[in-house]
Amino acid sequence: MKIDLSKVRNIGISAHIDSGKTTLTERILFYTNRIHAIHDVKGKDGVGAVMDSMELEKERGITIASAATFCEWKDTEINIIDTPGHVDFTIEVERSLRVLDGAILVLCSVSGVQSQSITVDNQMKRYNVPCIAFINKCDRSGANPFRVVTQLKEKLGHNPVALQIPVGLEDKHMGMIDLLTMKALYFEGKNGETIIEEEIPKELLDEAIAKREELIEAASLFSDELTEAILEEAEITSELIIEGVRRGTIARKLTPVLMGSAYKNKGVQPLLDAVTHYLPAPYDVKNEALDMDNNEMPVILMSDTEEKTVALAFKLEDGNYGQLTYIRVYQGTIKKGDTVVNSRNGRKVKIGRVVRMHAAEMEDIEVIHAGYIGALFGVECSSGDTFTDPSLNLTMLSMFVPDPVISLAVKPKDNKSQINMSKALSRFTKEDPTFKTHVDPETNETIIEGMGELHLEVYVERMFREYKAEVETGKPRVAYRETITQRAEYEYIHKKQTGGSGQYAKVMGFMEPIEDEHFIFENKVTGGRIPTNYIPACEKGFRLCLAKGPKMEYPVTGIKITLTDGAFHAVDSSDMAFQAAARGGFIEAYNKAKPVIHEPIMKVEIETPTEFQGNCMGLINQRRGMILGSQDEGVMCRIEAQVPLSEMFGFSTILRSNTQGKAQFTMEFAMYKQVPQMIAETLLKAAQDEKKK
Amino acid sequence: MNENTIQLDNPLTQLGFETDTLIPPGQMGAICARAGIGKTSFLVQVGLFAMARGQKVLHISLDEPVNKINLWYREVFNLMAPKNGINRLNQAWNTILPNRLIMTLKLDGFSVPRLEERLADMIEQDIFKPETLVIDGFPFDSCDRSLLKDLKILAEKMGMNVWFTVTTHRHEEPDQDGYPVQLSGISDLFSLLFQMVPDNKTVNLNILKGQLVAEKSKPLFIDTDTMLIYA
Repeated sequence: MKIDLSKVRNIGISAHIDSGKTTLTERILFYTNRIHAIHDVKGKDGVGAVMDSMELEKERGITIASAATFCEWKDTEINIIDTPGHVDFTIEVERSLRVLDGAILVLCSVSGVQSQSITVDNQMKRYNVPCIAFINKCDRSGANPFRVVTQLKEKLGHNPVALQIPVGLEDKHMGMIDLLTMKALYFEGKNGETIIEEEIPKELLDEAIAKREELIEAASLFSDELTEAILEEAEITSELIIEGVRRGTIARKLTPVLMGSAYKNKGVQPLLDAVTHYLPAPYDVKNEALDMDNNEMPVILMSDTEEKTVALAFKLEDGNYGQLTYIRVYQGTIKKGDTVVNSRNGRKVKIGRVVRMHAAEMEDIEVIHAGYIGALFGVECSSGDTFTDPSLNLTMLSMFVPDPVISLAVKPKDNKSQINMSKALSRFTKEDPTFKTHVDPETNETIIEGMGELHLEVYVERMFREYKAEVETGKPRVAYRETITQRAEYEYIHKKQTGGSGQYAKVMGFMEPIEDEHFIFENKVTGGRIPTNYIPACEKGFRLCLAKGPKMEYPVTGIKITLTDGAFHAVDSSDMAFQAAARGGFIEAYNKAKPVIHEPIMKVEIETPTEFQGNCMGLINQRRGMILGSQDEGVMCRIEAQVPLSEMFGFSTILRSNTQGKAQFTMEFAMYKQVPQMIAETLLKAAQDEKKK
Repeated sequence: MNENTIQLDNPLTQLGFETDTLIPPGQMGAICARAGIGKTSFLVQVGLFAMARGQKVLHISLDEPVNKINLWYREVFNLMAPKNGINRLNQAWNTILPNRLIMTLKLDGFSVPRLEERLADMIEQDIFKPETLVIDGFPFDSCDRSLLKDLKILAEKMGMNVWFTVTTHRHEEPDQDGYPVQLSGISDLFSLLFQMVPDNKTVNLNILKGQLVAEKSKPLFIDTDTMLIYA
């Protein structure tokens, strides 16, 4: 493996579902000679695109898992992470973005910047990932790449600059004009592999000159050399423009825009050139780790193979030969036979087989250098773990993992499925931090939890397809919570004297609602009324009550409990007695504090043609939703709303049937909010009925 | 009126108007100022006072996205909350939020019949029936009287009071009636006109047009740090 880092790019391809990113990845692999035939995403020929390595993805035409793959373009090595496009799987997208140095933002030239593009773009902003935009599907009817350029500016706040203009659009899309070289590019051959450079068609010359001026002006803001050349009226070379655009892109102050049609094999090679020209090399990006020995002080990592090793496991996959762990090495090297430490648990890990992945195929290598992405075999770890040199105690920044909002009971159909299901669940929970599982102690059912209906559905199907575990699922359950709405006081004495040593503890204080925190305990006991060694027992007693609220046995959140006073007995008081007193005090105050049920509210964005706006608003309204606003965007309109998750089951089907299939929506968890009284009563009744059963 | 109300002290009532809402349903008011003085913030406060009273507010923006306007409301509310003794911000905010709907329309596609169609649709489906309409970014520099007249007719028909922002320019002299030139020939359509005038470190809120109960009237200002109205 070469170690010229200036010739390495770790990139992702992020986009809205159906904007064609899997097709684009497939074409990139074809032109970089990693595959030798082109297939469709939907797999008309039964083979399917290579990046969608999971059967399920092939069937649904969506990409769920981010397969890392390696290819070479001209003399640059490119590692591509294919990122999922559905909002339910954004943790995957976020994890991918963490290890990327740059990204291609794929946009559809017909539908433009859609709500999912906005979500993905926000994630890129959060991780400071520079990007170039590729406006795909220029061959489709209604294609208008410059409308998309405007949207990039208006909706995403980018500073887009076109590097190309199209030659013909829709069914007349033939190629594009490269504004750097001022040549028209056409793609010939069976798979568009031959690029023909010609003079710019006369009718497009004026537009091309004007757009080149815009490009030069934009690039000059980031390059003194270019500004100088403009002022001195010297020759403006492609290199000067490239350097300006590259600096602007890396600083995330400029977004170069390319266009074409991946499906029709147009514009992919220039896009690869742009990846090598404008996206950052590993050393252009500042990566930080946290020093666990030094109060989590950030430490800047150097993309240097001589430094001590720091690497991040960002993706796990279960292959035929065991667990495959995708890693990005930030510093030092990971070599066959090395020993590194997993900083999460301090365990030593011996590196066995090291490979470089090309979607589902792999290539054995000896070493992964700083700045590179590769995969390890036989390493036991979870996704998000950091591997370091034994002398370091660093961890890569922990990623925010939201709590699950929906759960589903799963029951294996037979014994074999039971075993396979356990294997599958253990794998999935390691792969995806937002997917959780536990056994309900009361019903003995296995419960899976996640971020949305589709999220769980996909895992149920994966259990079947990859692990042959047939399971029956219960109804999806929403993760309700309980909280209190007013301050209430407690004064509770726990006293037992029925033979043997007695128990005595008295606690006094109050509970009150709080915002933004699950639970706060404050000790205001003075004068040793409760000895300090019993205070933790009191806190534990209160904490134990939070798991199952007295109202409807949902977890209790948003509560602050203050302990102000109490009493103890020199002989009969114990930790147990204070825990029991705390529990008694909790229940006493809780009922006085007007407890209510909270439910998860989702932020829902619907994109619909304007004529269906009324219908869509109606659908939201019927679902107890609150419309925050609607935004006109020409022929399309975007509705933003907050809707309880419990009302969103099956929404995609209903939305489709109400809008002739023309509207789409995304949703993500927004907050917890109080359930209206009527619904709370229904919930209470349902819970009582279930108990009777 | 609905149950989604909170206590929010409205300094505008100290100006001495007959009604709490300053202008009755079917009438129009506007805030005039140069760019950057705080017109949108003023309008957002008018919207928040109405929301707090349980009135349904439709905020129409002709240039800003929904998220940005939402942020305006939330930030102004956060600034107002401590002065009004509101401790549980989220709870109070969620109480009044259902009283507001934001609509972003493209300037070139803005027309009264289209707006009326939208409103009728929302009212018919029982989604939202606005009582106060707040329009930010209305192009007074280039609009004709008929558009505003139609808006007033719509406001009367639907029983809404309507608020606008009017951007004035430093170099322009007022018209013969003393109103900003942008309102020349249309000022009769408005029953209330405010003007924000910077004065050293403060901004005065002057009334250009409107009926007051004189003895009750107190001068109002804008706090240049928070952009909040105060007496």
